[in-house]
Amino acid sequence: MKARPIAAALAVLGYVVMLVPILFVVGGAFTAGSTLKFPPEGFSVRWFGEAVANESFSQALTSSLLLAVVSTALALAVGVPVALALHRGHIPGRSLLEGLFLSPLVIPELVIGLALYQQLMIGLKQTSFLALLVGHTVLLMPYAVRVTGASLALADQSLEEAARGLGSSPWHAFRTVTLPLLRPGVMSAGLLGFITSFNNVPLSLLLQSRDFGTLPVTMLDYIQQSYDPVIAAMSTLILAGTVVIAVIAERTVGFTKIFGGIN
Amino acid sequence: MIFVARPKESNYPLMNNRPRAGALLLLPGLLLIVFGFAVPSAVMLFSPPGVTPSDVFVRLGEMLSDPYDLGIIGRTLGLGLVVTALCIVLAFPIACLLARSTSRWAGIWLALAVFPLLLSNVVRTFGWLVILGSNGFAGRLITGLGFADEAPQLLYTPLAVVLGLVQLFLPLAVVACYSAVAQVDAGLDDAARGLGASRLRTLWSVVVPLSLPGVVVAATLVFAGSITAYTTPYLLGGSSQRMLATQLFSYSSVTVNWAAASATALVMTVLVFLVSGLSSAVARAKGRVQ
Amino acid sequence: MTAASPTAAPSTASTTAAAAEFIDIRQTFGDFTAVDGLNLTVEQGKITTLLGPSGCGKTTTLRMLAGYTTPTSGTIRIAGEDATRLPPEKRNLGMVFQSYALFPHMTVADNVGFGLKLRRVPVEERRKRVADTLDLVGLGHLAGQRPKKLSGGQQQRVALARAIAIRPSLLLLDEPLSNLDARLRVQMRAEIRRIQAETGLTVVLVTHDQDEALEMSDAMVLMRAGRVMQSGSPAEVFPRPANRFVAEFLGYENFVERDGRLLTVRPEHLEISTGPATEGARLALPATVTRVAYRGVDRHIALTTQGTGDEPVPLIAALRADETGPDPRPGDQVTVVARPDRVVELAG
Repeated sequence: MKARPIAAALAVLGYVVMLVPILFVVGGAFTAGSTLKFPPEGFSVRWFGEAVANESFSQALTSSLLLAVVSTALALAVGVPVALALHRGHIPGRSLLEGLFLSPLVIPELVIGLALYQQLMIGLKQTSFLALLVGHTVLLMPYAVRVTGASLALADQSLEEAARGLGSSPWHAFRTVTLPLLRPGVMSAGLLGFITSFNNVPLSLLLQSRDFGTLPVTMLDYIQQSYDPVIAAMSTLILAGTVVIAVIAERTVGFTKIFGGIN
Repeated sequence: MIFVARPKESNYPLMNNRPRAGALLLLPGLLLIVFGFAVPSAVMLFSPPGVTPSDVFVRLGEMLSDPYDLGIIGRTLGLGLVVTALCIVLAFPIACLLARSTSRWAGIWLALAVFPLLLSNVVRTFGWLVILGSNGFAGRLITGLGFADEAPQLLYTPLAVVLGLVQLFLPLAVVACYSAVAQVDAGLDDAARGLGASRLRTLWSVVVPLSLPGVVVAATLVFAGSITAYTTPYLLGGSSQRMLATQLFSYSSVTVNWAAASATALVMTVLVFLVSGLSSAVARAKGRVQ
Repeated sequence: MTAASPTAAPSTASTTAAAAEFIDIRQTFGDFTAVDGLNLTVEQGKITTLLGPSGCGKTTTLRMLAGYTTPTSGTIRIAGEDATRLPPEKRNLGMVFQSYALFPHMTVADNVGFGLKLRRVPVEERRKRVADTLDLVGLGHLAGQRPKKLSGGQQQRVALARAIAIRPSLLLLDEPLSNLDARLRVQMRAEIRRIQAETGLTVVLVTHDQDEALEMSDAMVLMRAGRVMQSGSPAEVFPRPANRFVAEFLGYENFVERDGRLLTVRPEHLEISTGPATEGARLALPATVTRVAYRGVDRHIALTTQGTGDEPVPLIAALRADETGPDPRPGDQVTVVARPDRVVELAG
């Protein structure tokens, strides 16, 4: 039995499953007809016009961007000090604490969403935005702790000690040595957090309200009601935006490094 | 996880011999994790509004004896297993080819496998609606080629859910398997070949056993993801292919049955914990052997 | 001793049988030419060394012989058969890798027995051959251990045992000693020679260490930029380097142009005279001492002399530290001389 042809055939099948449905979405977006079909009936960009003009989509897009930016910033603001304390401080029970900070990764997001829905929105009568912000920040913080923690763990602490030895004050050593070492980790965690928040469905699902809805959930609701090429056009626009994020990632820290954890 | 040996005295400026400063850095994170996550989750799981813990467990008991609920749990686990198996079977060859390739294209193929991780699940799953939906591409292909006079029902079948979930989690499996295979020294492949092993034998005797812990991690991620995924079962399975996540949403938002929602959430959470516990035990045992 | 000589045609090879032959081998990777027109015969039952700096194509040559890369053009014969495109598993060669490449998930015995298992050697015979091979390398007591638990030198012996156990037609060693500390390295040279003598194996050794090559080889092949610069037995090559590259690689340091010819002398063969030139000296140069370095067994005297061009030519003379005689100091004007039989004329 030959290993190579079998492996190659399975690999081709895998790539087809991963990528071909995305091509169908893009193809469907450019149809001139009024139903979603592949191959598309004629070529037109009219559905892109409709997607952009759709008010609930543009509102949801603004909400999603706002939520993603603010929750990523908050997660970094809270998570980076945690990473510093865990890797450079003398905290008793370090691995236990680390486990606690990473635990939101293990609990199903839908469960976290339901918990916040009950406690914050029903119990404490808080707004949808606040509940979403708490939920997304909780969800993103583990990334901030883990990714910046990994860059701290890799960076030799003797670099900071060397800076001290060369006459830097503790604060100066922190600013000139530690912070630059953290920068790729912060950049990675930021991009990862933004993407994770922007695409999230299960956590946002129960925390939506009529005043504040995220784009993926709004699209999900739209698909459930009507099934036309507007969604394909909107999806294609999201795909284009995602490519931009991927390019930014590649230009800064490295695309497969951030999103695949591959060096 | 990487642990670095640290000297006894910290030179870290913000906490120079001041453990209190370290605690101060941890405080906001601790507050968030306790009050924004741990407490609400615990309360929801065991004592949601207007429901006593015993109500939750009574409902849980009913769920574990009711054929309808058991069917949902069984479907969730069954589809999860099938998706996991398919993901590993497809991801491992991709990982081997990419990790062992010397071609300059390998990086591009790797990036193509990673890219879907960035793309919204809604967008990715939507493609299957175009393919499998009524009057979709697959249906017309089947009738067009004369396999059937009428397009079969493809959407809202187990097949649709499996396809959607495999598409969703295959990139994750590729990334995890790639890391696992890439850390196996390619020199070992050469050594085995030189000693007389064919490519397949080398794979079986060297690459598979040495990358197994990483592959177990990949399988765990895919399985845990599959049994908790919402978007894909919702869009491609609908109400005829209810899984735990879609059922949980229905209890929370449609029928608003807090006791049933908590019981379902408990089942999901326990399953995820069991799977990740099992895999870390396997990985540890393998690690000891090596 | 017959040298492994570059041969234009294999039919002109020497009387001993050829274990392997490279005929007009070229290997390119993209724009990079790793091996360029290589012709080489590896003789049966001898140690042939490929010697050169990194990037000279020696490892590529070994990997082509083992079957891990296929030459861009040319023919490789193993025991007379065309093996150019044969996959590594069909060549029956034993290879020891620089990193040893021991299987971490197998015991020492399973590592050594791996090739035998693939050859479907019956369990009993396999066990005996594994034990015999481990005894040959002196590791019989470690059969049940995992490779990670072993020291570098022990891992090296396991790698050697694993390669020998399959009774290969050729034993290929890729920088086998470079990961060992200096003392162990010298010990292992003798050890490998002993094992080669006991087994009668044909060995191809790749190294960048000229001492290792000189001590271990029956035939050495000096390579540079994918081409063979010189080949022959150590006793043939060392005193008669063919060109400046080989001379420099073997430790010749003084290069002087005289009457359009390039001459070289090893530092220990230069003498320093305060008087006029000795009778019969082929080389006698006025020079200025620039630096004196005490090195225990000898003193290194750095000098400059006037070359044919405007640039002064640097010279190094090694004087035995206990030698009575001239005691040059920086700034001294002296005459540097060498006996005619110590002066080597280079081709270029």
